[in-house]
Amino acid sequence: MNTILAAFDALSISDRGAMGMGAVLYLAAFACGLLTLRMSKPYLNSLILVLLGSGFLMQILGLNIRGAEIKACPLGNIFEVTQFISWSLVLLFFIVGPVFRVRLLGFFTAALAAFLSGGSMLFPGLDKPYPPGIFGGNPWIELHAALAIFSYGVFAIVAVVSIMFLIQQHGLKKKQFMGVYQFLPSVQQLDLVAQRLSITGVVILTLALIFGSVFWLENLELVPVLKLSVTCLVWAGYLCVVLLRIRKKLVTRRHAIAAIMLFILALASLWPVETARSSNRTVPGTINQDTSDLRAE
Amino acid sequence: MSEALQSLFVLGSTHREAPIELREQFALEGEDVLALQKEMLELPHIKECLIVNTCNRLEVYGLADSPEVEDLVRSQLCERNGINRTLFDSHSFWRTNLDVLQHALEVSSGIDSQMVGETEILGQMKGAYAVAKDNHCTGIVLNRLFEKSFQAAKSARTQTGITRGQVSIGNVAVDLASRIFGKITQSRVLLLGSGEVGESTAQALKSRGVSDITVSSRTFESAHALARGLGGAAIEFEDFQAQLSNFDIVISSTAAPGSILTKKVVSGIMKKRQEKPLFIIDLALPRDIDPGVDTLENVYLYNLDDLSKIANENLKQRRIEIERARAILKSYAWTLWLQLRRRTLVKK
Repeated sequence: MNTILAAFDALSISDRGAMGMGAVLYLAAFACGLLTLRMSKPYLNSLILVLLGSGFLMQILGLNIRGAEIKACPLGNIFEVTQFISWSLVLLFFIVGPVFRVRLLGFFTAALAAFLSGGSMLFPGLDKPYPPGIFGGNPWIELHAALAIFSYGVFAIVAVVSIMFLIQQHGLKKKQFMGVYQFLPSVQQLDLVAQRLSITGVVILTLALIFGSVFWLENLELVPVLKLSVTCLVWAGYLCVVLLRIRKKLVTRRHAIAAIMLFILALASLWPVETARSSNRTVPGTINQDTSDLRAE
Repeated sequence: MSEALQSLFVLGSTHREAPIELREQFALEGEDVLALQKEMLELPHIKECLIVNTCNRLEVYGLADSPEVEDLVRSQLCERNGINRTLFDSHSFWRTNLDVLQHALEVSSGIDSQMVGETEILGQMKGAYAVAKDNHCTGIVLNRLFEKSFQAAKSARTQTGITRGQVSIGNVAVDLASRIFGKITQSRVLLLGSGEVGESTAQALKSRGVSDITVSSRTFESAHALARGLGGAAIEFEDFQAQLSNFDIVISSTAAPGSILTKKVVSGIMKKRQEKPLFIIDLALPRDIDPGVDTLENVYLYNLDDLSKIANENLKQRRIEIERARAILKSYAWTLWLQLRRRTLVKK
């Protein structure tokens, strides 16, 4: 990896540059899928996979350069968190795709990944500088952060599958059969995949919270109440949805809508969480008080 | 240039030239096909012969060393089949040379079929070719023509949308079932009534791997007979509502004057099915299922009009693709024509 990083150094590719190229490749995968669907041509699965895979590699590179720079998992501001979520989303697509064989998942994943990754690139203000060692060298809190954001990636793919479910259901109810409807997987399959992934996401987020609580119990004053409350709220929301789904109280359409709404809530919660964390960094005695070594843009 | 291949011909009568009553008269029966092929080869000037005989077309392909064989071929066909020559002449076509190549290619690809893009014709062409070849009725020219036509048919199908979308009620229903359940092999089907369209829809589902089919009809005997034919079971008509929650697909084609399934009944069933979808196909006229059922969550109700609309739309889309397919086939036909001429496989 060091050799690759050195090679890219020689090419003067910055972390943001690599992540930007990743976003462009995701957008290209989406555009390619959209074009073939609009023109009623055979769906170019291989090309979309190649574009998504290339975007994924570029994003890994960007995150790696950033990680090497700050010597930690790059999860220090909203830009990095959003990049990490979109990276997790694409990673999960490569895992979930072959397991569940969900048609058009690549196309929809590319759309959301391009939106998240490209959107965060469009607002440079989101990439706020922060002091190095944000996790204070504590592996538990680093594991907590990585797992929590990875679970958001799972919830992102649940949202993607739920959108696909709603589109297919709309097509069936409205007697639509041309275009995207004929290529989408069955409603039953999408519903099942969404259910299984929701459970997986809740398990990962629960583990993240358990690991985080180890740190929290030892450093009560370092964890902002707002961050804790919002995170617990998101977790409780997903837990409720999963429990209701298992008890068959919240099924199919309502489950899909709940999954999409919760993901939007989870994304929106990044803002207050980040604000609370940033303000906490300025409190003397906290783990990030060394502001003299701010990461240069 | 066209005179070089004067001796390649096709005589035929299809759904374009003759109505079904005449096609029934013209059609050859079993052994007659091979017998006529052999008789044709005994005619003067005829070198090769192949007959395609399906429910929608009777075509005699041949190669002769003289262009003056039309009358002979027509007479031989009418004589063997015992049909009126004048009647046949007014409901048939005769093509030669390059037109024969183009025609054969269009037939193989399904664009000349009544149901545009249907694939059955390719199998029938292959069957006819195998029989003729095995009996030494074909030679270098017809062998090359038919082998090329199968290749061209594949290209036309893959490069255009002539086979896209289902065009029969049964297959449209199967497609919809796949959009709801994915793999339909595990789906349980209930067929209400013993109507013909209902039966063919159940057959279409069976042909795609559905093995659990139950039939219910007001006359238990007819339900039992139909169930036997479909390899399923029969239940009393009075019991079907009580067992409805066990079925994923319901096909209804009874002669009932009003609704046999109301929104209230289906709503109650859906509480038992919970997250499992229910696909209801109402093929009856007047309709068997209360249209309000469609507003229920997780219930997908399609009636005869809905299915026909989809089938017709697919057929329309296929027809749009015909010209594209024809252009592809034209280039194949032209290349084949040049090959045949260059190799002087066909005598002047």
